[in-house]
Amino acid sequence: MEFIQTLLANQLVVSILLSALPLVFIILMVLVVLYTEMKVAAHIQDRVAYMRTGWHGVLQPIADMLKLLQKEDIIPTKADKLLFRAAPFIAFTGTYVAYAVLPFSSIYIGSNINLGAFFLVAAGSLVVIGILMAGWASNNKWSLFGGVRSAAQMISYEIPTALAVIIAVMITGSLNLQEVTKFQDGGIGNWLVFGGPLPWMQKLMLMPFTVITFFILFVASIAEVNRTPFDLPEAESELVQGFNTEYSGMRFAMFYLSEYANLFTVSAVVVSLFLGGWSSPFGAFMSGPVWGVFWFTSKAFLFILIQIWIRWTLPRLRVDQLMYVSWKVLTPWLFVCIFAVGLILVI
Amino acid sequence: MDLYTIILYFFAVVTLGSACIVVFSRNIVRAAFALLFAFFGVAGIYIFLLADFIAITQLLIYVGGIMVLMLFSVMLTSHQINVDAKTGTIQTLPAILIAACVGGGVIWVFWITDWKEKSDLPVIDTTAAKIGELLLTNYLLPFEIASVVLLVALVGAAMIARREKKG
Amino acid sequence: MSSIGTYFYNIFHSLYTVVVGMRITIKHLFTRSATVQYPTVKMKIPERARNRLFVNIDDCIGCDQCAMACPVDCITIETIKSTPDMDLGMTSKNTKKRLYLPRFDIDIAKCCYCGLCVWPCPTECIVMTDVYEFAEYDRKDLIYSFSNMTEEEIAAAKVRLEQYNQEQAAKKAAAVPAKEPAPPAANPLPPSVPDIGKA
Repeated sequence: MEFIQTLLANQLVVSILLSALPLVFIILMVLVVLYTEMKVAAHIQDRVAYMRTGWHGVLQPIADMLKLLQKEDIIPTKADKLLFRAAPFIAFTGTYVAYAVLPFSSIYIGSNINLGAFFLVAAGSLVVIGILMAGWASNNKWSLFGGVRSAAQMISYEIPTALAVIIAVMITGSLNLQEVTKFQDGGIGNWLVFGGPLPWMQKLMLMPFTVITFFILFVASIAEVNRTPFDLPEAESELVQGFNTEYSGMRFAMFYLSEYANLFTVSAVVVSLFLGGWSSPFGAFMSGPVWGVFWFTSKAFLFILIQIWIRWTLPRLRVDQLMYVSWKVLTPWLFVCIFAVGLILVI
Repeated sequence: MDLYTIILYFFAVVTLGSACIVVFSRNIVRAAFALLFAFFGVAGIYIFLLADFIAITQLLIYVGGIMVLMLFSVMLTSHQINVDAKTGTIQTLPAILIAACVGGGVIWVFWITDWKEKSDLPVIDTTAAKIGELLLTNYLLPFEIASVVLLVALVGAAMIARREKKG
Repeated sequence: MSSIGTYFYNIFHSLYTVVVGMRITIKHLFTRSATVQYPTVKMKIPERARNRLFVNIDDCIGCDQCAMACPVDCITIETIKSTPDMDLGMTSKNTKKRLYLPRFDIDIAKCCYCGLCVWPCPTECIVMTDVYEFAEYDRKDLIYSFSNMTEEEIAAAKVRLEQYNQEQAAKKAAAVPAKEPAPPAANPLPPSVPDIGKA
């Protein structure tokens, strides 16, 4: 009995509390992103979106969430019930583990492991499993197509992502995201997009390649979170809602949460690898652990905003175009970049 | 027994339990999904062996890559999905013999191995860097051979795919 | 263009078009929205917009032309002839009213807002108004009754007509040998309708 008590008091509770911290962040962040997304979408289309729940409808995401919680949890009769129930949780787990290695600030990082960047790439692949499971378990042709498309897409785009991460790691010489961020500390000029804090000759030579890599990583990350123009897994005009056609209520909310949490993750990866993570763009001015959180989240939000902007601008790609972009454009260009960056770093 | 031990046993149970499902399940897709958890559990055990790089590689390659491709192929072959996997017993005697041999071998290895039960082993923090160094110095030849094998497999796959398209 | 040239051209062309598209959308992000907050803010509807029908029953002469013009048959009119001794008054356009209107129903749920009923009306008593918010919880509530007669009045009118017809029939029977039949006022409807139609 005593053993259990000490266990609970010392390790378990603290671990659980610490690991639940990003969950709180995710939920708050998703509320904000949902609101922003709806508002930006509406204003791009010359509408105003919701205006009635609170000032300019700020309470609408909360209302939506409550609505989803109350909805009936429908499971199709012919579905594979076990897998159908499990799929949203696996998808969300895949999203959530990535938060373990995101360096929110110089003092807060879930787990300061030495393979953070590598782990992020691996964690992304867990989401695919959840989506594939949902697609298959629904026993619905649209869901299955959505799941299979999603798998093909995420596997294809994991390669450009991984290659782009490799370029960042080559320059910084560490897989630890905290180290990568520290490497870029000290002003906007030290960010990896602009070549990092290297001698200016090297920096100037690196810059075109890092900019291209940064851009490719950004494109690949949009594809990894299944957003327009790469939203083939849930292409509503052809597949109803893709893998989440049969889902409703809380389980659908889990997928939704996972999708938006993933949106933040990929933006955070881009930010911490290429835009200096939590470091202030003005060098020592406005830097510190608390400002770190501010810079990290605001940079990531900037990227989420750009992704929303792209979503409401571009139409969906065709499947063959999707594969063309990944295998014939992004990947070869990254090979060129890897080669060039390696060469520049050696000389 | 502390938290880490509990987690280790948890991973062991996950690995063994889902491996059992893989073997005994009659539904081929469920078996494939169970295999996923087996891989996942193994990745957890790798972490306890201080092999963090291998653990994440396991996650990336097996869970994210190979598993997805397996599921993918199962789902794309339309008549496979609803076919019950055969789990009946045939040729009982040879099976028992082979199983006994393999099991005995594993137990024997377990018995004779000099297990290091020290918890004061130096924690190597940068396995990735060490592995990279070794791969490009001492083990360069196997590394290159592996990459050549993969290249051959890629070219072969492209060849087969292309010929089918023409024919 | 060579295939490698096409490859590079495609990349730069797609990047360029994406930038063009994004420039357009960001412009729209900062333009005023075209929509209004409907129930609180209402858009001005055109002066001659065709919305809910309204019948000024005091002007209606029961000619049934609107019901005949209606393509969806949503207007139902029942009439009772008035006796010559009753004066139903004049319409605002100085047409004599000769028919009682016990029923003038418009099923607005069926109405297709074509306005075809408005044009034939000789007294301009059926009009389309600018009211467009008339949703109801029950479909029956969408059948608008414009008749202002009570049950008793209808019954009385019917009885009176019956009596009058009997009287006329009796007169006719009595006047068979006589040359002149009924006075002209005795036969109200048939000649009056074409008159009104012309007016």
